[in-house]
Amino acid sequence: MTSRRNFLSGAGAITAAVGAATVSKVAMAALPEPVIQNRPDTMPPLMPNTGRPYNPVVTLNGWTLPWRMNNGVKEFHLVAEPVVREMAPGFKAHLWGYNGQSPGPTIEVVEGDRVRIFVTNRLGELTSIHWHGQRLPNGMDGVTGLNQPGIPPGKTFVYEFVARRPGTFMYHPHADEMVQMAMGMMGFWVTHPKGQHPLIDEVDRDFCFLLNAYDIEPGSATPKIMTMLNQNIWSWNSRIFPGIDPLVVRHMDKVRIRVGNLTMTNHPIHLHGHEFVVSGTDGGPTPKGSRWPEITADIAVGQMRQLDFVADEQGDWAFHCHKSHHTMNAMGHDVPTMIGVDHSGVARQITKLIPDYMAMGERGMKDMTEMEMPLPDNTAPMMAGQGPFGAIGMGGMFSVLKVRKGLARHDYRDPGWFKNPPGTVAHEYTGPAPAAHRQAPADVQPGDVEVQVRKPHHHQH
Amino acid sequence: MRTTDRIHGPGVRTARRPAALLLSLALGLSGCATVATDGGLHGVQNQMPASAQAILGQPASDAPLTWQRSAEDRQAVAQRVAELLAQPLDAERAVQIALLNHRGLQAAYAEVGISDAERVQASRLANPGFSFGRSSKGDEREIERGIHVNLARLLFMPTLSRLGDQQLQQTQLQVAQKALQVAAEARKAHVEAVAAQERRRYMQQVMQAAEASATLAQRMAQVGNFNRLQQAREQGFHAEAALGLARAQRAEHAARERLIRALGLWGAQTAFTLPERLPDLPATLPDRPEVEREAMAQRLDVKAAVAATESTARSLGLTRQTRLINVLEVGGKRASSNEEPTTTGWEVSLELPLFDWGGARVARAEAVYLQALDRAADTAIRARSEVREAYVNQRTTYDIARHLRDEVVPLQQRISEENLLRYNGMLIGVFDLLADARAQVHSVAAYLDALRDFWVAQADLDLAMVSSPSLSAPSGGNSPALPASGNAPH
Repeated sequence: MTSRRNFLSGAGAITAAVGAATVSKVAMAALPEPVIQNRPDTMPPLMPNTGRPYNPVVTLNGWTLPWRMNNGVKEFHLVAEPVVREMAPGFKAHLWGYNGQSPGPTIEVVEGDRVRIFVTNRLGELTSIHWHGQRLPNGMDGVTGLNQPGIPPGKTFVYEFVARRPGTFMYHPHADEMVQMAMGMMGFWVTHPKGQHPLIDEVDRDFCFLLNAYDIEPGSATPKIMTMLNQNIWSWNSRIFPGIDPLVVRHMDKVRIRVGNLTMTNHPIHLHGHEFVVSGTDGGPTPKGSRWPEITADIAVGQMRQLDFVADEQGDWAFHCHKSHHTMNAMGHDVPTMIGVDHSGVARQITKLIPDYMAMGERGMKDMTEMEMPLPDNTAPMMAGQGPFGAIGMGGMFSVLKVRKGLARHDYRDPGWFKNPPGTVAHEYTGPAPAAHRQAPADVQPGDVEVQVRKPHHHQH
Repeated sequence: MRTTDRIHGPGVRTARRPAALLLSLALGLSGCATVATDGGLHGVQNQMPASAQAILGQPASDAPLTWQRSAEDRQAVAQRVAELLAQPLDAERAVQIALLNHRGLQAAYAEVGISDAERVQASRLANPGFSFGRSSKGDEREIERGIHVNLARLLFMPTLSRLGDQQLQQTQLQVAQKALQVAAEARKAHVEAVAAQERRRYMQQVMQAAEASATLAQRMAQVGNFNRLQQAREQGFHAEAALGLARAQRAEHAARERLIRALGLWGAQTAFTLPERLPDLPATLPDRPEVEREAMAQRLDVKAAVAATESTARSLGLTRQTRLINVLEVGGKRASSNEEPTTTGWEVSLELPLFDWGGARVARAEAVYLQALDRAADTAIRARSEVREAYVNQRTTYDIARHLRDEVVPLQQRISEENLLRYNGMLIGVFDLLADARAQVHSVAAYLDALRDFWVAQADLDLAMVSSPSLSAPSGGNSPALPASGNAPH
């Protein structure tokens, strides 16, 4: 739900009371009232009621910013401010964002729209916004010092340009941007085509989200902004599984998923059960002849990809970054591998000193998903989520594409778990077990090089 | 003294009266002086001020000061000591045993007996001499019967007797101090021994943690999860912990032996057990702004020094007091602090008479007296400083121990709890957890050291109020109670 907050701190009321003696109506009218979002949920698409018609997107765990038409110009008001973002139930981060959330609201316009964006800075330091990928006058490109002075704290700047090119874009600061992006300042931008476009197919469901990453010490709330690659929170729109909503689509819908990467590493985004094509990048729609089927699209740093497919397989399909560490929540990168280590005797000895100690990792780490262990405050478990068949044991950049028959056109509500038709679920084999034929193991002498599979100890993404 | 009867001619006249008078006088003077049956120890107890109770653990009059002079005495004491040693030895029992059993103290008790005997001896008249002589001078026969007593001794008998009393008092003061020092030593040795035993137990826990680390590391290496370097590191901790434990065991042994010496134990007596832990800190520590004044009023060494000047003056026949001098030269004192209300002023003064010496004929007497005066002043100055130091020691060791107990140890516990949560979340590994357990044990050991320091300082202060303590220099930095931050990965 959106709420309207009187941004001019009671100026409206004063105006009413004193009859606009001190604040001119022109000045009041010049600045649209900012709309603030209080919830981290996926909001229903914002149907356009002014301007050119278009088919709106759904921002995963996000929302679209309402605008005001002012003499044919679409006016938006972004407020850069500190926010508390719930990244998963039980885990809130102290981030910087726009209009109450991080990332900021999605801005949706139509090709050819004249757009005026008011940006108010409520941070403690100057900021600016770079409209990533847009064709615009050089002075509107938002690089502090190069294209404009920074927006000082407490001030409002105005950007104005024509959205010339249809496609998938984003916005982010270009002032102290390492800090400001590490703190979560970013947002999605979609320019819909004006009418039919030969390379841009109309779709039934159009999702978008940004990839972002934070380093938040377990038990704390503010990201460590100096971390470059060893982030421990890998998120979509500043949400982590099981806090990320499912992508709910109707069977046989044409679906588009737009993904932008504002982390500092690449993310192979992988969809189960379907093949998609990359129908566009932030450079624009791809020529049809250049498209080929994929099930994983690697999205490099600062890139955006538009994945189109037909949801023709019913079910609950995993959708995630294929870097397996990115589908985990906070974890210790220096935790030694305990696999295969016999704890007998030692565990009892340790329990004498640390009564609540429990041996873990001896068989692997799946134990984590089944044990309800007390964790530091404000910390999402490393592997979490329950599915119809037990613990899912995932985190981070993971969600589920839910393909169902019989959904209403704009119904994005979670339909629950898929009811698999009988006989279509993997099950235990209960027949006779033949004796296993194994080759005798090679005689390994002490000192022989013995290769054992283990994950790299130092964890680079 | 000699009386002579001269018998002239037919009559013999005997004059007996003066001799009888002198004899009765001498007997009268010495009649009340007898050797005390307790060897003068009652007088030792009487010399102890009320605050000696803090050291003795009971009023001085009830303290078991007995001079064992017979096999039965020794038997009784041995039995009593055995009873006291049957239960875990607490501080009060340790003090009782020391007072009963310390052979050095027994030797000091003998000192009192010797002094008392000398006093009685001094107050007794030398045996009178009798003489009989007969001489003839012509027809005159002279029969000389004599009873002679040492007249000088008789004349000075009151003085000698008083000197004897003073000597006894000096001895009693010294022995009282010795007894208090033995009691204080027993207390301190007891604190050290209990603390050393507890510390050894903690080092065993550290050893246990290190052992678990080393075993796990070895198994990690066996299955290929650790390399030799990682395994060697964990083994290094283990080796170090073994060293720490060996040192703690040695310290425990030494502390126990010191206690054994302080109590005068031997043989089977040394098999006593100590309580598990030291008593906790007192809930509060009262401010004692007058501690210096109180000590000056009751310290036995000061009392002995003053008595010595008086005794010296008396023995030199110095009576003409011209003025008093304050050997301490202390005026009113106003202790103000920005944190506490100003304490009321108080004065410490130790005034002793200075004499007008008149002529130079008593130059030696003057020198002797002035020497005594300076000794008294020296004792008083030392006593005041000792009390101040002991008081500050007691307060600061209390503050340190309380800080460790209320801040550092709970903080370390909180760190451990948080680390366990991180272990649960697979954010840190078991080796971090064990390293943390070691750090936690160290913080508890640091508190234990501070608690020991406090109880030692308390015994020193208690002794400093009544006698001269042996203050030990504050121990330097112990191992840090908190490990360097940031040792655990996220």
